[in-house]
Amino acid sequence: MKPPQETIAPQTNPPTNGQASALAPAASARVGTEQRQSIRDFRIPPAPTPPAHMDDYRSIIGQANLDALRFLARDLKGKTIKMVNSTAVGGGVAEMLNRLVPMLTELEVPTHWEVITGGNDFFEVTKAFHNALQGSDYQLTKHVEEVFLMYNEQNMHRMQFGEDLVVIHDPQPAALVRSRADSGSHWVWRCHIDLSHPNPQVWNFLRSYIEQYDAAIFSSQSFSRQLPIPQYLFYPCIDPLSEKNKELDDSTVQAVCDEFGIDRSRPIVTQVSRFDRAKDPVGVIQAFKLAKKYVDCQLVMAGGGANDDPEGAAVLQEVKAAAGDDPDIIILDLPPWCALEINALQRASTLVVQKSIKEGFGLTVTEALWKGKPTIAAAVGGIPNQIIHKHTGILVHSVEGCAYQIRYLLTHADFARRLGENGREHVKENFLMTTNVKRWLLLFRILSGSRAAPLP
Amino acid sequence: MTDQQAAVETRLRKSKKPFYFNTSEHLLRVGRETAANLSELLESLRHCPADSVFQHTFRTLQEHHFIRRGFSNDFAHWALSACNEPALAERLASVDVREFTSLEDLRQSLVRVLQDYGEHNPEAALRKAEEPFYFCAADIVVLPTSFVPDTLPGFADGLRRVSIHSIHHHFIEARLRLKLMSNDFSQWLLEEMYLPDAARAVNHIDIYTVTMENVRQQIVGIVERALQ
Repeated sequence: MKPPQETIAPQTNPPTNGQASALAPAASARVGTEQRQSIRDFRIPPAPTPPAHMDDYRSIIGQANLDALRFLARDLKGKTIKMVNSTAVGGGVAEMLNRLVPMLTELEVPTHWEVITGGNDFFEVTKAFHNALQGSDYQLTKHVEEVFLMYNEQNMHRMQFGEDLVVIHDPQPAALVRSRADSGSHWVWRCHIDLSHPNPQVWNFLRSYIEQYDAAIFSSQSFSRQLPIPQYLFYPCIDPLSEKNKELDDSTVQAVCDEFGIDRSRPIVTQVSRFDRAKDPVGVIQAFKLAKKYVDCQLVMAGGGANDDPEGAAVLQEVKAAAGDDPDIIILDLPPWCALEINALQRASTLVVQKSIKEGFGLTVTEALWKGKPTIAAAVGGIPNQIIHKHTGILVHSVEGCAYQIRYLLTHADFARRLGENGREHVKENFLMTTNVKRWLLLFRILSGSRAAPLP
Repeated sequence: MTDQQAAVETRLRKSKKPFYFNTSEHLLRVGRETAANLSELLESLRHCPADSVFQHTFRTLQEHHFIRRGFSNDFAHWALSACNEPALAERLASVDVREFTSLEDLRQSLVRVLQDYGEHNPEAALRKAEEPFYFCAADIVVLPTSFVPDTLPGFADGLRRVSIHSIHHHFIEARLRLKLMSNDFSQWLLEEMYLPDAARAVNHIDIYTVTMENVRQQIVGIVERALQ
């Protein structure tokens, strides 16, 4: 007999990494304690917030779209879904499942979430697989294959798959599909990583398992592979009611700006991203300095990762060196729980920049667009899916191009405003959590052969 | 009958068949065809499934319903953004989905534009695009809504309250279903409400110079005028 399963209760707040570390924003905090009391202390992780319910999204997506979700779910009532991934905390997949699972369950499509277990040797192998599938060199050995399959086998014996739809996230648990013969369920592989240039050895090994699924899901057209099964496109998404994206009153935005010494009476250009060379933070500073010759503005570089990552700390030093003594460049190294502060900084911004050299989907772009901010971003990764050049934002390819577009948007407010409005609508249509819920319901219905009734 | 009496009669008239407001939801499926240049786009467009033609023309209009001008279909967008061929982009963008009641006819029209451009610009046809074109397709699920009016005021109310997807379903996609150069709204106004002028006015709304929300407002305006 298989042991009882442990189901993960979705959390109500993004997980934190333990105690607050001693962090100080690079820019001097210019206000006193009494003013800071208007918002919480960003150095301390916030208390969990209660989860949102489907009805809470009505004011955002409208009654008609909410009704469509309920109609879609109606024919699936009583059917069940299991989501399986490799971690309960940290990372975008766990964050997404924390919201998706309760939303599907509230629509009366009970959804269970389980996490595979494994030893350090397993997670070393899967980390190497992850990097190899994203293009790194790697030598696949028989031993590595055995470690991967052994832990998948162990999890197969530990788990039960009685649900109608089983969704396996990413490569780590991909071989669980060998359980499908017993289950009679629909099996789907959801790939969150960039497979556009995979290591052929690792991909060929994994492919033999992926081909046993009923369908695969990718985050971008360019990440998909030639496979004999249908491949669907599910864009990553943001939750408009999360701390990072919910509406904020102006006093909160003002308090955060005061906290970090940002002058809201002058234009604010912001890049939000961890201190990573792939995000080209030094390039952003160069672009800002070029633009500032012609337009008055401040630059906010808000990110994190410098405390728990040696490379992040080195990049932060490079950024500080590039900024020099310019008082208009405000560098903020924030802890991972500062979602509210990031939200406020994005809302305070006149323009948002994401000048990455390499990017996954670029959810910081999604966040900026959702806040109606005119956004200038590099045409890499999933960003062109979000930014339709001159319609929902501006795509750039160089420091000089970025500098020019900062100048242009800061001096053409009507055009900038229209970009922001279109960007928000684009996110509303394609990149919100509610759209993601809709995609899962649609996929489930399509796999079940439960299409809509013919037109009257 | 006075104008006032006619308006009252129009307001009270009940249709034999109510208007069933439906909506269509789409799931994006990645196709097998890709194109790295205009010549490959032409070849793939000739052979791709009809639901790919639908996705990159009819469906993309719904996906980008909020763009007021300059966005017509994915082929035109790619010709400009990835191939830097503005003249071709303009010609592809001028292919109006509302002039087609069949996806095969629409495909042939797009193929003719690409073929002609390639013959006159052979270098451009083979020049590598900045990014490939990935053919996709849409799996469609049609859903009912709670709006099933049988009077003109109820119809106007439904128009105001359904989603943009529903407007697109009845106004744009309908011609593929009806096989008529018309739409569900005009057909109902004509056949059930006997309002040929309103039906014609709705069918003449230009979808390429306004947002879909604005299209909705224009239709509501026409219906409200018929009620006065």
